[in-house]
Amino acid sequence: MADDLTNVAVTDEAARGALAYLTELSPDLRGAAILDSGGVVLAASDSPERWREDAVALLAVADRAGEGPVEQLHVGTEQGEVFAVREESLALVAVTDRFALASLLFFDMRSVLRDLAGGGDGRGLDGGPGDAP
Amino acid sequence: MPPKPHRVLLDRVSGYADEAAAYVRRRRVARRPFARLYYPEGRATDQAADTSAGAELFVAAGRLIEVAGKRPR
Repeated sequence: MADDLTNVAVTDEAARGALAYLTELSPDLRGAAILDSGGVVLAASDSPERWREDAVALLAVADRAGEGPVEQLHVGTEQGEVFAVREESLALVAVTDRFALASLLFFDMRSVLRDLAGGGDGRGLDGGPGDAP
Repeated sequence: MPPKPHRVLLDRVSGYADEAAAYVRRRRVARRPFARLYYPEGRATDQAADTSAGAELFVAAGRLIEVAGKRPR
């Protein structure tokens, strides 16, 4: 994780709500996790310990691979695709089916993370699909 | 003058063959693994799978894909 990021206090409950919202938004999503700057999993779709190990490892490898801390990453393999976004002291890592709409997913991930980092529940101004009139 | 019957057949077969070749070409490009890193200033870099950094990224991503498992249908 990047060291120069400010810490924001995010509750596990808010992180779980944000992850549930992202799952609603993205039909291609297989699983995801939200981590803080210390690599602690705030919310994960399942197996938080494994998500912590592998997501932290992926971000560390990505930081070493290029020129400093990455802001986002996208890895595509035949088995699926991995996306990661950092916002302030939070990171959101997601796994999707192959050929997911990358720009849309990055937008959704960043919106959710930005709102969460700002003290929201990840839904931003939108009340969520269930709140539509 | 109408074309000879075998010409029509040959044209049709070669048309299908061209379509199939284009499909296979597109599929090969689309299925190629890639790793792309984005930086705060808007820069982005591709990491080739045959570099050590690229290979590490694919291994780490593969583990995450394994953790996530299949999407429930």
